[in-house]
Amino acid sequence: MGIAIIIIFVSIAVLASKLTPYDPIKSKFLAEAVAAPQWATIFPSYRDLPPTTEIPANWDVKQGSSFVHVELSTGLAVVRYSGEMEKDDIYLEAIFLYPYSPPMTFSYQFSWTAEEVKRMNYALELTLVNEQTGTSYSLWDSYYGYNVKRTPEIPPLTKDVNSTSVKADSWSTSELQSRLQLRPGYAKTIFSEKGEYYLLMHIVFEPTSENATCEISLKDTKITIPGMVWGILGTNHLGGDIFCELVYGTQTSLIIGVSAAFFMTAIGTVVGVVAGYAGGIVDEFLMRITDIMLCMPMLPLLITLAFVFGRSLLLLVLMMSALYWTYEARIIRSRVLSLREMAFVESAQAAGASNTYIVLRHMIPNVLPIAFAAMVLNVPSAIVSEAVISFIGLGDPTLPTWGKTLQYAFHSGGFEKLAWWWIIPPGLALMILSLGFVFIGHAVDEIVNPRLRRRR
Amino acid sequence: MKGYLFKKIIYAAIVLYTIESLIFLIFQVFSPTDPMTAFARNPMLSAEAQDAMRRLFGLDQPLSTRYVKHIVNMFTFNFGFSFYTRTPVLDEMLPRLRNSLILLSLSLTFNVILGVLVGIYAASRRGSKMDVLVMGIGLFTYGAPIFYVQLLFFFFLANPKSPISIFPPGSMTTIPAPTDPLAYMADLAYHIALPLITLVVAQFGWWAMYTRSLMLDSLTEDYIVTARAKGLSERNVLLGHAFRASLTTIVTMVAVIIPSLFLGGIMTEYIFAWPGVGQWFLNSILVSDYPAAQALLWIYAILMVGSNLLVDLIYGFLDPRIRVGVRR
Repeated sequence: MGIAIIIIFVSIAVLASKLTPYDPIKSKFLAEAVAAPQWATIFPSYRDLPPTTEIPANWDVKQGSSFVHVELSTGLAVVRYSGEMEKDDIYLEAIFLYPYSPPMTFSYQFSWTAEEVKRMNYALELTLVNEQTGTSYSLWDSYYGYNVKRTPEIPPLTKDVNSTSVKADSWSTSELQSRLQLRPGYAKTIFSEKGEYYLLMHIVFEPTSENATCEISLKDTKITIPGMVWGILGTNHLGGDIFCELVYGTQTSLIIGVSAAFFMTAIGTVVGVVAGYAGGIVDEFLMRITDIMLCMPMLPLLITLAFVFGRSLLLLVLMMSALYWTYEARIIRSRVLSLREMAFVESAQAAGASNTYIVLRHMIPNVLPIAFAAMVLNVPSAIVSEAVISFIGLGDPTLPTWGKTLQYAFHSGGFEKLAWWWIIPPGLALMILSLGFVFIGHAVDEIVNPRLRRRR
Repeated sequence: MKGYLFKKIIYAAIVLYTIESLIFLIFQVFSPTDPMTAFARNPMLSAEAQDAMRRLFGLDQPLSTRYVKHIVNMFTFNFGFSFYTRTPVLDEMLPRLRNSLILLSLSLTFNVILGVLVGIYAASRRGSKMDVLVMGIGLFTYGAPIFYVQLLFFFFLANPKSPISIFPPGSMTTIPAPTDPLAYMADLAYHIALPLITLVVAQFGWWAMYTRSLMLDSLTEDYIVTARAKGLSERNVLLGHAFRASLTTIVTMVAVIIPSLFLGGIMTEYIFAWPGVGQWFLNSILVSDYPAAQALLWIYAILMVGSNLLVDLIYGFLDPRIRVGVRR
C-alpha cells in the first residue's frame, strides 16, 4: 500500500505543471482572499457565496430619443446622434441577476469610443442601480475633474476630436469608495440583496452648432466579482490557488526529502564502512565524532544554521545531511563489524586482495540493503524537518512547500477565518506522504534487517 | 565503576567543549550580521554610542580573546545580557526553563504510562483486533508530524472563532494570573490541557509499539512457559515476569528520549504560545538576539550531553559487562 501512495504522489509531482496552469508563487487575486473551495457550496453556511463571476452587460435602450440612433448587438452599443441642434440624452441599461450573498468587492470595466465628433459636446455617466432597494450608485462619469456631486447641469466635456477611446475600470477600490462616500465593504451595501440589478448608462449630447454628429460605441462592459468560492481547494490570503500550491509542493517535498535522505545515508554509509572495516584508531576517531554529533541538539542547531546561513533549498538539504547522518553510521558500522569476521573476507585477504577491493566488492554490496532501508525511512523525517523549518518562517521563500502554506495559514489569518481548506490539506498531504514512506521503509526493513528476519 | 564514571564524565566535558566551540564559530564568526544588529536597529543610536556598546560587550577585541572569554563564560554559566530584553539572560531563562519542564515532564509521564499500558495489553492479545488496532494507531501517529496534529487540535478546539472551542488560545495562564493557589492550579491545568493532550496523542503510539515488541520478545522466552506451567495467573506472568524483563530497556529508553523532548517542545511551545525555553529560543533567533540564542543552544547541548551521560551511567549500572568493556 505504501507503494501505491508513493506512486500517486510521484505522479502528481511529475505532472504538476499539467495539472494546474497557475504559478503558485506569482499568482494572486484569482479570487477573493481566503476563498472556500467551489464544492463547499454544499454546506449550508457556504451556500450563497458568489463564485468568481464576470457579468457581461448587454445593453438595452431604456429611454431613447428621436435624434439618437442606437444600434445594439451582443456586448456592443453604438449610439449615433445626428440631427437638430438640441440637447438630448439617452439612457441605456443592462440588467443582470445577482443571486448570491453580498460580495467583498467588485469591479466594473468597460471601454467606450467616440468617433466623428463634430461640434458636439457630450458626456457619459455610468450608474449601478440596486433594483431591490431602489438605490443607485454613480460609478463613473466622464466629467474628469469636475465636482463629483451630481449637479443639475452636466458640464460639457469633450471638444472636437476624431476619436477617443477610454477604458475604465475600478480595480483600485479606494477611488470608488471615496466617490460613493461609503465605508469599506461598500460592495456589501451595494449588492445587499439577491435579485436584479442593472447598469445604467446615461449619455448626454449637446450640439454646439448645426449638423453636429457624434458616434459613441460602448463595448466590453462587464462587472467582475472576485468570488468567495473558487477552485478545488480555495485560495490563500493573497488570492492564490491552494491546490496549485499543494501540487507544486509535492515536487519540492519529494526532491528535498529524497535528496536529503540520499546524502544522509551516503555519508553515514561511508563513515560506517570505513570505521567498521579499518578498526583501530580510525574507528575510535570516527566513533568519537559520531558520538559528539549525536549529542548535538538537532532541531535548534538546524534552526540556528538556517538563520545564520541564509534560507535556500540547497543549504537546507546540506545541513540536514550534515546533522542527521549519524544514525545510519552506527548501524552500518555494526553490520560491517560482523561482516568482517566472515570467512569470505579472510579468503579474499589470503588471495591478496587489497583493502580497497574488499571494501568495494564485498562490504558495500552487503550493507546496501540496510542502507537502502535506512534511506527510505529517512525521507519522511527529512520532509518533516523541512516543513518545520519553513513553518517557523526560516524556509526558502521562493519555493512552494507545504510548510510554507501552513505558515501562511497560521500567520495570515487562516485560523481566524476558519479556513479549513487552507489548513487541513497541506498537513494531510504531509502525513500521507510520510506514511507512504514509512510503510515502504518498514517493509524493506523487515526484509533486509538480519535481526528482524528471524521473527517472520 | 569509579573509573568508568570518571572516564565518561571527562568524555562528556570534551564533547561539551567541542560543541561550545562550534556554537561560538557559528554565531560570532559565520553569522551574516554583526551581533550588534539587534541594538543597531534603534535609529536613535548614534555611531559613537554604537561603538561604546561594542566595547561594552567586548565585541571589538580580537577573535582569540573573545573565544577564550566565551568558553570561560559558558562554563561558568555567565550568560551576559540579552540584546532584546536588556535583562540578564539567566533571569529570563530560569522561569521559562521551569515552564518547559512542567509541560515536558508531564507529557513524558503520561506518554510512558499510557503507552506502556497499551503496549502490554496489545502484546497480551497478540493477533486480535485490539492488537491490530494498536499497531495501526501507533504506526499512524509515528508518521504524522507532531506539529501538524497540534495545529489541527489548536485550530478546532482552541480557536476563539471555532464553534467547538473549549480551550484557551495558548499561553500558560490568563493574564493576570489568579493569585489564589487553587485557582492558579486550575487555570494552569486548563491551559496545559490541550498541549498535553496533543503531545500525548502524537507520541504514545510509539511507546505502545515499542513496549509491545519488547513484550513479545520476552514472551517467547522459556521461563514464561515455566511460569505458566507453574500455574501462575496470566496477569502475574505478564506483569511480574515478562514486563519486568523489558523494564530495564524501557527505563533506558525513557532516559534516551529525554533529549528529544526538549527539541520537540520547540514546536509545541510555538504553536500554543507556551512561555517556555523553546519559544524563547525561536524568538531570539528570529530577532538576532545573540546572547540569548547562544546561551540556549548551550543549555540544549548540556541537556543532551547530560542525558546521554545519564543513559550511559544507567546502562553501566544495570549491565556489568559494559562497565568492564567487551573484549574482542
